[in-house]
Amino acid sequence: MVTIELYGVARLRAGREAIEVAARSLGEALSALGTACPALEPLIVAGGRLAPGWLVALNGAQITANLETPLGDEDVVVLVSADAGG
Amino acid sequence: MGRGGYFERYLRVDLGRPSAEHVPLDEATRRAVVGGVGLGALLLTRETPPCFDPLGPEAALVLAFGPLVGTPLTTSAKLAFVAKSPLTGRISDGLSSSSFAIAGKRAGLDAIVIVGEAAEPSIVLVDEEGAEVVPCPELWGRDFTISEASERLRKAYPSHRFAVIGVAGERLVRYAGIANEGRHAGRGGLGAVLGAKRVKAIGVRGSRPVPLADAEATLRIAKDLARRSLGPATEKYRSLGTVANLSTFNRLAALPTRNFQASTFEEARKIEGEVLHETRERGRGSCKSCTIGCEHFFEVRPGERPVKMEYENLFALGPLCGIGDPEVVLRASSACDELGIDTISAGGTIAFAMECAERGLFPKGMLAEEARDLGFGAGERMLVLLEDIARRRTALGDLLAEGSRRAAEIVGGEAPSFAPHVKGLEIPGYEPRALQTMALGFAVGTRGADHNRSGAYEADFSGKVNRFEASEESAAHAVAAEDRAAVMDALILCKFLRRAMEDFFGESAEMLQAVTGLPFEAEELARAAGRITLVRRLFNEREGWTPAEDTLPARFFEEKLPGGAAKGAGIDREGFARSIKAYHARRGLDERGFVPAEVAREMASLLRGKNR
Ligand code: SF4
Repeated sequence: MVTIELYGVARLRAGREAIEVAARSLGEALSALGTACPALEPLIVAGGRLAPGWLVALNGAQITANLETPLGDEDVVVLVSADAGG
Repeated sequence: MGRGGYFERYLRVDLGRPSAEHVPLDEATRRAVVGGVGLGALLLTRETPPCFDPLGPEAALVLAFGPLVGTPLTTSAKLAFVAKSPLTGRISDGLSSSSFAIAGKRAGLDAIVIVGEAAEPSIVLVDEEGAEVVPCPELWGRDFTISEASERLRKAYPSHRFAVIGVAGERLVRYAGIANEGRHAGRGGLGAVLGAKRVKAIGVRGSRPVPLADAEATLRIAKDLARRSLGPATEKYRSLGTVANLSTFNRLAALPTRNFQASTFEEARKIEGEVLHETRERGRGSCKSCTIGCEHFFEVRPGERPVKMEYENLFALGPLCGIGDPEVVLRASSACDELGIDTISAGGTIAFAMECAERGLFPKGMLAEEARDLGFGAGERMLVLLEDIARRRTALGDLLAEGSRRAAEIVGGEAPSFAPHVKGLEIPGYEPRALQTMALGFAVGTRGADHNRSGAYEADFSGKVNRFEASEESAAHAVAAEDRAAVMDALILCKFLRRAMEDFFGESAEMLQAVTGLPFEAEELARAAGRITLVRRLFNEREGWTPAEDTLPARFFEEKLPGGAAKGAGIDREGFARSIKAYHARRGLDERGFVPAEVAREMASLLRGKNR
């Protein structure tokens, strides 16, 4: 299972800090996230994509919006708002 | 279309004589630098001789308004305080929002320039006619909090709005700020500039409506912007405020901890924004004329007045000092606000001292004795130290009132390698090794390490650059971020609006056209942004800037981050130097970072002005 961690507005909207989903790519993980947490649709994730202004940090490190990014079972997807900072 | 947005003059107050005169501001000047920080930097250059003492009578403090203040545009109630910083010896500007900004503009002014030194502690009262310098023995040296002093002034002069310094400004703490209505022009010690002039407060009063060249278009734009300001682009600020940054930064290992020895904090959970929101939030507020309202107030203890908290205060007085007790951090933030000191520099300087104490670097005697119980996590000690710094009482308080760079020079040994500053200005809450485009923005910043004049972290968070490497691409992002900030701060609008604007330069030009009637274009504004940076650079060059200043403390090149998602990250010295060179090239500077002679010549008449 892939873990998706939520911070800030995403955490407030979803009412939870993390969720585990079965996914082999970032796109799949985001689809599963939107289904499990409808409060995140469409302003944070929208139909398996990231809404404008949202990105992920794979395992907290590099930041990407590439939906093709492959994910393994140990991976952690950190959902980050592009307005982190400021 | 008529003319608007500007009153086409500023007020020059000479405290020494004392006298006040209105000085005209021509259209070419206004178009060249727009207003706010641009106008402030220009007037500072014009009104001062080369290499002046920032705490001497020749120093000028400029209060510069933008063309939008006093209009119905959301977040426009702002002004810029601009001076040579006693902390850095370079240009510094601080923005602040309040009805003070509106009243100052409505005194029929685009700026107020204060020079000279009052014969005795005084306040300056400005109105549409001019200014008066009034002695204030009842306020000076009385150890009043900012709230107490403001309240006394409000009662004595009910029709004025005031900007006030605290005890730290009176005692010339090099990072004392200027407060107005709960907002602070915090960075760079502008409060000490006022303190050195023996000015406790500036009061402004005015009732002239700010003219609008095209009132209908201005209102239409204002309504649209207000609507967008309530959309998803600002949700973070409305629902949590900037304190929301802390948990994300900690997860991304970008949270400066224990004087930048680490970038994750094991006690972050106790003070993260989401937890504060759930357990302690007691209300929200906003600056004057703002539809967003990013201020969030948190309970310290039941029955006590809730305290406003922002990310920069939280990081600097929390993780940076190894402190995870929310009550201590809230108290410390409130103390800084009431004493009138910059929270980032206070936290940075104390964190530096904590590291010196833990390493046993303080010279034997008073300093070592007083620093005996100072170590990371010593929350109660930090609270006492803040009071000591603001009053320059105790040897340690007096030393730390000088800021981390000067303190490190006195401590000596290896201390300068980990004093957390650029050009003397303490680094904000963005770990440079984990956000390396931001690191570049810090290094080249004209005011020193600064997240408000360079939003280069946006590139690090965008996925467009490798955040663990400063590259030539970083340089392009650093220039773009600086340019956007320069225009925002010249207009002046709140940066938290920026994501609500799709075509930043185009929309800004449209606003300016509607308000001023001047044919501002997007390209012209982009050029003005670059020009504002060059004005600041030329000022710094005049005051002794050298290329060696555009760098980071040695720690960031020599020590790798120890843990978290950025474990092992460090800054490659040569790669960083290349990114600085790339920045210079993009900025139109010469190889070493100086403004080329022919550009300086072209700008000479703008910098000189016609009136002096
Ligand atoms: S968003 Fe916040 S900082 Fe900006 S003007 Fe509004 S209240 Fe002030």
